[in-house]
Order: sequence, then structure tokens, then C-alpha cells
Amino acid sequence: MKKVAIIGVGHTKFGVLENQDLMDLLCDASLEAINDSNTNDENFDSVYVGSMCPETFNHISGVANALVDRIGLLPAAADHIKNGPASGGSAIKAGFQAIASGINSMVLVVGGEKMTHITTPGLVTSAIATITHPKAERSHGASLPSLAGLLTRVYLEKYDAKLDWLSDISIKNHKNGASNPLAHFQRTIESFMESAIKKGKGSWNNIYEFLNDDKTNPIIADPLRLFHICSISDGAAALVLCNAELAKKYCENPVLITGIGQATDTQIVYERDDLTVLNALRESSNQAYKMAKKTPEDIDVAELHDAFEILEAVESEDIGFFKKGEGVRAAHEGLTEIGGKIPINPSGGLKARGHPLGATGVAQVVELFWQIRGEAGKRQVSDVNTGITCNFGGFGNNILSIIVEGM
Amino acid sequence: MNSGEKLIAKKCKKCGFIQHKDHIRCLKCKNDTFDMIEAQGGCKLITYTILNVPPLEFRDKPSYALGVVQFENGIKALGQIESQKNLKVGMKLAPVYKKICNNLDGKEINDFVFKSIE
Ligand SMILES: [Zn+2]
Repeated sequence: MKKVAIIGVGHTKFGVLENQDLMDLLCDASLEAINDSNTNDENFDSVYVGSMCPETFNHISGVANALVDRIGLLPAAADHIKNGPASGGSAIKAGFQAIASGINSMVLVVGGEKMTHITTPGLVTSAIATITHPKAERSHGASLPSLAGLLTRVYLEKYDAKLDWLSDISIKNHKNGASNPLAHFQRTIESFMESAIKKGKGSWNNIYEFLNDDKTNPIIADPLRLFHICSISDGAAALVLCNAELAKKYCENPVLITGIGQATDTQIVYERDDLTVLNALRESSNQAYKMAKKTPEDIDVAELHDAFEILEAVESEDIGFFKKGEGVRAAHEGLTEIGGKIPINPSGGLKARGHPLGATGVAQVVELFWQIRGEAGKRQVSDVNTGITCNFGGFGNNILSIIVEGM
Repeated sequence: MNSGEKLIAKKCKKCGFIQHKDHIRCLKCKNDTFDMIEAQGGCKLITYTILNVPPLEFRDKPSYALGVVQFENGIKALGQIESQKNLKVGMKLAPVYKKICNNLDGKEINDFVFKSIE
């Protein structure tokens, strides 16, 4: 198997980007990555584009064909990779396999989504809910937030954890996002509270009172409130991958993808033996650790998929950092902050960086690239050599884990 | 009561695992022969949520409760709960067959919802 290097990255601002459509975002991230990699005049063998719902949200299909045409990469092979909210991770896997197999030597991977222009109430949540089981879940009115609510209640009761501790994960991710100039929300939750006080919306003695107020933080899927759930966003992120033997020709400081794993679990969430266990993550991370010859103790930083803050905690357990039932408590105790035992989501995670579905899996690896190269600015974790991601598709029924290391 | 109104699941003839009737092979052992079993007696609430932001096709109601239940003979199901009040994990519920919504194609969807029998 050939070694696979990342030699350039691109990452648009995430957020409400009114003046850019999906293709603009994919092109911007792609050209930034190509520029960053010093491969401007090189031929790319393949392009993999991860995007979840361009047909529904943007009324376009064939996004990969459109991209290679628009940015002048013809006649590169082009594929649109779809795996729900893990489309970005799956696009990286496709690019990794193309190079590891020796079939390709230069690949562009880009993930993106454009969602914030949709104004029909319930359309985005309905489109995403099409990944749930049509008869056992969706036809009853289940959506991803509701499945997260069901999981949260089981977890909090079973492990005697507190909802305020889950809020600590949101607080941490917003604090990290405040130092990420590309994040959707570059603000702490304290700053949201201070603005609300200034606007005369109420007064609160502390941040937990603010977060438990139905007016400022409404319940979305009981017990989960607005600040326990990521928002929708626009954005794109890209990687240039190449055969590691060629990497130093373009890049002084390449980063390697040394482990990659993917696994599935039951589509019907209640058919899992334990709702609080993500079997697909246990399996996919084991594959990644085995390929990279690493253990969870070797990981310096992680980018996990906190579409709902309970997921960050459950993932931190099933990826091997904490015992089952201890993830929420660990976050509450500060072990996952920058400077803690295992920093999680220094980028701000999905909660603060934002979650343009197809972009997320790629943006996670871009963050690890910057962390490993010491280029993460105010959110830099010290002494990073190895990082791991979790990109969560379906409701935990299709998960990718990717390990990235300095070369 | 026609067969469409029974809450049916598949029980694997080889390993006994109970699963949704859509499965063609067993989730646990790949066997493809099953006994069709019917939910028996009351059921208990395993977990629940109240969803205040329904998907598009469920917006005829501003919110609804959803729960996962388990029957005495092991069948599990997800469904709406008739009342949002006094919900408690472990409470006893009974299934009622009724219309839930019209899907995006305008077709009426009927299925089981659960009501408290406490
Ligand atoms: Zn079986």
C-alpha cells in the first residue's frame, strides 16, 4: 500500500454566505487547496466531491463534473460521493484508496454544502430525516434531533449525568470557535448572554441560568435545547492528496493520513443492543488505529462529530478516550479542553464552526493538518503529532475515523 | 382487526433475535427464516423526547412526543405518544392504530401511536 500525504488544504468561511452558491464554495475551497499545495500546473488524476443534498437544497446534480469543468481540471476523473453527513469523510476515503492502491498519484478531495438560503420551515430537517428508516422511524415523525433527544435521555439516566454537563461541551466548543476565524460562530456563550442582557431580554446570574431559560435557549428535542444542537451552515473544505513519495517535491511540511476506517450499524436506532453505544465508531476507529499502528493513548487531539453535544461525549468513549458513561463527566471536568488530557474540537466543532453537511468531514481533517503543522493560531494545541476524526453518517449507522500524523 | 393493524415483528428461527419486519436476513446471524410474532400485552417506555421542530410533513402539529417502547415479549417499536404530559421512563403504555400524517406525496400514513394506561 502506498503512503498518502496531504500537501495542501482549503477552507472557506463557514456560516451564512449569502453571495455564494454551492459551486462557488466548492471552487473556492478547491483552488485554495491547489494553491496551497503548489501543484498549480500539475494534472490531477481524480476529484472526489462530498455533498449530501445538492439535488434538494440547490437543484443541481453532477456537482463533481461541474467542478472539474469550472476550475480547469479536465480530463480528471470526477465522482460525487454521498454518505449523508459523512459525505466529506467518505470522499477522503475514496481519495485515500485511489492513492494507496497506486492507481492515482494526485487527487483533489472537496466537501461542501449550501443550506442557509432555504426558508421553508422544516424542509432541511425533513431532507436530512430521509436517511432514517422510512417505516420504523421517519413515518412516525422521527428526525435526527429527535433521535438525539431519545439517546440523550437514556444516557443521562443510565450514567447519572447532568444536562448542565452537556452544556459544558457547548460552552467549550463556542470558546474554541471564538478563536477560529473561519467558524460560523466566533463567539463564546457568555457573549451571547451579554448581548441578550444588553438587549433587555432578561437577566441571569450565570451562564447555566441563561442556558436553562426557555426564552433564550428553547427546547428543541427534549431534553436537548438549541445550544446543544449545531446550526445549519454554508461552506466548503478541500484537501490535495498525493503519493507520499512525491509530497516533498511540492510541500516542505506534508502531513500523512496513516489510518482510515469505516463501519456501519443498524439503520433502525432502537435495534441496537445499547442506544448509548456507537458500534460503527468502535469498529471504524479500531480499523484506523490498527492501520496506523496507534492506540487512543497516542492521540494528541481529536475532531469529533458534535451535531448534537451528546454525540461528542458518546464518541469520546467509543473512540477509546474514556470508559462508557464517563464522557459527559470528562467534558464537565475540563479534560477535553485545549490544554486538557485529550483536547476535542479545538476548531469549535460542528457546534461553533458550523455544519455544512458535506464539508464537515473534510474540515475536520483540515483542522488536524493545521494543528499538526502548528498553524492553528490561538486555538493551537501544544505538541501535536497525531490526531483522529469521527465523521458521523446516518444516525451513527455509517461512521468514518481518520488518523492523521506529521511526516 | 386486519393484519395491517397488528404490531408484527420477525423473530429469527435460528438465534431468536427479534427485529423489524423489513429485514430479509437476520441482523445477528444472517439466517433468513423467521416466525412472525405479534406484540403481546402492554409495553414499557424505554426513552422519549418531545420534538418542537417537526419535519415539514409533520407540521400540522407544533410538537409531539416520540418514544421507544418494549413489549413483554421483547418487540421494540418507535412511535408517537398521545400525550406530552407526565411522561416517565418505565411507564406503561398501550398501542392504538391511527392516522399519523400525510406524507410528502399526500398519502395518508396510519400506524401505531402509544397512550398511557397508568
Ligand atoms: Zn438470527
